[in-house]
Amino acid sequence: MGVFPSLFAYYLLPFASLMTDSKVTPLRPRNKPSVNSSKTPKTRKKSHRSVKTNLGNARLLLVWGMLLLGMGGLGLNLYWLQVVGAEKLANKAQQQQQVYMRPYVPRRPIVDRNGNVLASDRLVYSLYAHPSQFKVTKAEVADKLAGLLDRDRRDLLEKFAKQKSGLSLANALPEDTANQITALKLDGLELIRQYSRLYPQQELASEVVGYVDLDHQGQAGLEYTQQDLLEPKIRTLRLRRAGNGALVPDPMSEGFIDFDDKHLQLTLDMRLQRVTRSLLKESLAKYQAKRGTIVVMDVRDGSLLALVCEPTFDPNKYSKYDVSLFKSWAVTDLYEPGSTFKPINVAIALELGAIQGNSIFNDRGKLKIEHWEIKNHDYDTVGARGRLNLIQVLQHSSNTGMVDLVQRMNVRQYHEALMNLELNQRAGIELPGEGAGQLKDLKKFLGSPVEAATTAFGQGFSLTPLKLAQLHAAIANGGKLVRPHLIRAWVDSEGQTSVHPDPRPLKTVFSEETSRIVLEKMAASTKLSGANMDIPGYPVAGKSGTAQKASPTGGYYENVKIVSFVASFPVNNPRLVVLAVLDEPKGKDIFGTTVAAPIVRSVIDAAIAIEGIPPNSP
Amino acid sequence: MFQRSYNDKIPQWKTWLAAWQQLDFVLLFLVVSLTAFGGLIIQSTEVRQETVRWFWLYHWLLGAFGLILALFIARLRYEFLIQWHWVIYGLTNCSLIAIKFFGVEINGSTRWLSILGFQFQPSEFAKLGLIITMAALLHARPANSIPSMTRTLAITAIPWGLVFVQPDLGTSLVFGAITLGMLYWANVNPGWLILMISLLPSAILFNVYRPAWYAWLVAMGILAWFTLPWEKVGVAIVTFANVIAGGASGYLWNQLLKDYQKDRLILFLQPEKDPLGGGYHLIQSRIAIGAGELWGKGLQHGTQTQLNFIPEQHTDFIFSAVGEEFGFIGSICLLIVFWLICLRLIIIAQNARENFGSLLAIGVLSMIIFQVFVNISMTIGLAPITGIPLPWMSYGRSALLTNFLAIGLVESVANNRPRLHFRR
Repeated sequence: MGVFPSLFAYYLLPFASLMTDSKVTPLRPRNKPSVNSSKTPKTRKKSHRSVKTNLGNARLLLVWGMLLLGMGGLGLNLYWLQVVGAEKLANKAQQQQQVYMRPYVPRRPIVDRNGNVLASDRLVYSLYAHPSQFKVTKAEVADKLAGLLDRDRRDLLEKFAKQKSGLSLANALPEDTANQITALKLDGLELIRQYSRLYPQQELASEVVGYVDLDHQGQAGLEYTQQDLLEPKIRTLRLRRAGNGALVPDPMSEGFIDFDDKHLQLTLDMRLQRVTRSLLKESLAKYQAKRGTIVVMDVRDGSLLALVCEPTFDPNKYSKYDVSLFKSWAVTDLYEPGSTFKPINVAIALELGAIQGNSIFNDRGKLKIEHWEIKNHDYDTVGARGRLNLIQVLQHSSNTGMVDLVQRMNVRQYHEALMNLELNQRAGIELPGEGAGQLKDLKKFLGSPVEAATTAFGQGFSLTPLKLAQLHAAIANGGKLVRPHLIRAWVDSEGQTSVHPDPRPLKTVFSEETSRIVLEKMAASTKLSGANMDIPGYPVAGKSGTAQKASPTGGYYENVKIVSFVASFPVNNPRLVVLAVLDEPKGKDIFGTTVAAPIVRSVIDAAIAIEGIPPNSP
Repeated sequence: MFQRSYNDKIPQWKTWLAAWQQLDFVLLFLVVSLTAFGGLIIQSTEVRQETVRWFWLYHWLLGAFGLILALFIARLRYEFLIQWHWVIYGLTNCSLIAIKFFGVEINGSTRWLSILGFQFQPSEFAKLGLIITMAALLHARPANSIPSMTRTLAITAIPWGLVFVQPDLGTSLVFGAITLGMLYWANVNPGWLILMISLLPSAILFNVYRPAWYAWLVAMGILAWFTLPWEKVGVAIVTFANVIAGGASGYLWNQLLKDYQKDRLILFLQPEKDPLGGGYHLIQSRIAIGAGELWGKGLQHGTQTQLNFIPEQHTDFIFSAVGEEFGFIGSICLLIVFWLICLRLIIIAQNARENFGSLLAIGVLSMIIFQVFVNISMTIGLAPITGIPLPWMSYGRSALLTNFLAIGLVESVANNRPRLHFRR
């Protein structure tokens, strides 16, 4: 193995000679460049070696020096790049490689109980122009766009002149138009795809459904209250961007999109809603009323089959309407129910045992409590009616008879019973801004006998039309206070319901016996009253109400009325309660019986047909 | 005879190996390691390509073939090339001329010849041809006088010109580096070399900063005075040439270079000027190397590399993948390996039997070192993009084979060096 020592010596020798030989031969002096001239070579071989020997170590050192310098320079630059500037460049790399995207999943649709779409997202396009990037003249672009956008050419040109970039030309363009614009292949135009909320039924259920603003945020109705559930929560996607711009899913976050196709199903029935709305509209026009509302509620569970307010708005063009129209005032606004509340009082009195079904009341026509005068609405024409049974009290809507009835109860107990009806609370419907009724507190209630007396015929306190419907539903369903609601379920495409509102009644407020008696008396009185509610096979338990409106300054307006009619049917197995309220109808003969009752009658007719309600078994 | 060979205790494989006894194994090991590592990196750049490519395998296979060739060449006596150097010179020029007529176009440039279905790049092999030619010329007649230097330069000017007009700016620069390095080693007055390349700084300074150009003229004049044989004439010629270089630079710039070459040459100074065009490569490569930070992101974990932010990364920009996936430490290690290779080449040049071998080693050294410097400088944004591959690392079949042939020649020089114990 004699090779190794020699190899060893061979590898180390140059270093040794570099280190030990300190004598550095200077570069050759000028004009003496020739190696050959300095030394006469003895042999040819020797002469060639002389190139090397004469180089001396200086030349070798120069090579070494340059090599070291170069390597050092590269190393230093790498140090700057990979150690000093590393963080900045690493960030830059990450910036260009990572793309954060919020996958645009459409807002969930809203449908009625039969699956008719009330609100859904569709793809639309916004068109932006960047005139600075036009490759053709502005006039040419304007010419081509004018037709597609249905806009004036000069109008477009004017816009182009104003701004160089980011010019919004149109919103909510349908896909067709967008495709046509793309086909023009014009530079400087930008189509941005987005979802737009479409309300195909327009104003039909607008106060219930509400609307979303341009940012897809619900601003009214269920769109507002159910925002979190309607807007699917999708985590931001982190994607990798490759050099060619292609998006590569980050392996960490694959397959996490929890996509569902749930939609919000309402209890409303659009067929009934449509009929109801047109009836209300008609009536509103006929009596030039300020506004009106109709509530149709299933007495068994509180689900609303129709809920309309007029006037209303088109959620597709919400910006063109007054803000006050966006609410469902049947839910938000309080009013004095007037005579429609009388059956509730009857039920309370029965429940407290203060009266019996066959009790007789004294109609004095007119009476005075403290300095307040209370009289029947028809006192001026009819005078005092004298002895009346329950049916007659309701039939004539006798205020003084009701006062007699209420006065048979302990005031404290009466107040307690009213409170038990949750008059001061919200019924809990899924709409925004629900009003809680205003009933005077016990101290005030006890303060003056007139309080209980006015409450007897539905004045001196206020509630929402919805609350009144709920109370009448309690009478109709055997005494249970149900929760009025609009959401039937969250349903996916396979019909699986997920979130279901609790269908159980809140509590029982009347006994079945009580509600049966009240319902019977109401039905009998309705038959006798002027309201035309004779529908063969479908006896109706109704009550009208005509109230003077309370003025903000105290007292009541003489001629400003709010008329209403509430009815439950069919009497021996009630299904629906219908309440119609008209605010400030004008004209002669304005009473609940004459104005509101016909509306209710028509709604009942429609509901029987649409919902297929079986008639009373004989 | 038989008896004797049996008694001889040297096993047969050893006698067979004896032909490589003096081989520089360190150099060979470094080169083979580099090639293997190069294959790994190339593979890393193509993991997530849309189409499956096998460049890394080709790289390894060709490396193995190159190694066999190199070992074979190492056994031969390299001196025989001296007799053949004119033939090699002729072949080199012919192959370069052949491109003009039979060249195959790939990626927009015509640099390849196709023979029997194999495509090769004559300009790569021409580097080796130039080294052999110059070594033989300088061996026969050291370039220590102006006429002999001029003669050598004139002979090398032909292949250089042929490469330049291809146009292959990168390779022509490598030719220049080889020429300068070998002339330097062949005892040419370094002052002459400086005067030779003085035209380039002159042209640049004339356009960038005029006062510096005047200073340069004076400095070159003084250098000419002290180094050239005929001082006055020499100074006059040098000054005149420098003035011409400065004055004509604008014209030459526009006439001699194609637009894309001009872009490539200047853009590295401000790649941000054209971040999506010519500057893209430079910006992305710098980002990749910087993002590697100290320790790198690990093989096949470099995001810039894996997401293909650097086009054609497996060829000229392979260092950016090393920088990203192996970080500062890996890059420095790679530099050290190249430095060790250069060290071995210098040692071989020092210990060569005669000038021819010594010059061969220095020629190869010049070629390797220039390519390493320019390539790495390019990837970190210090030099323009000139299409120079990183030896043994970049994917490129002709270049890889040329480098292995070069190493074969150098190993032959090492293998045939005079034995040390004969010297002492």
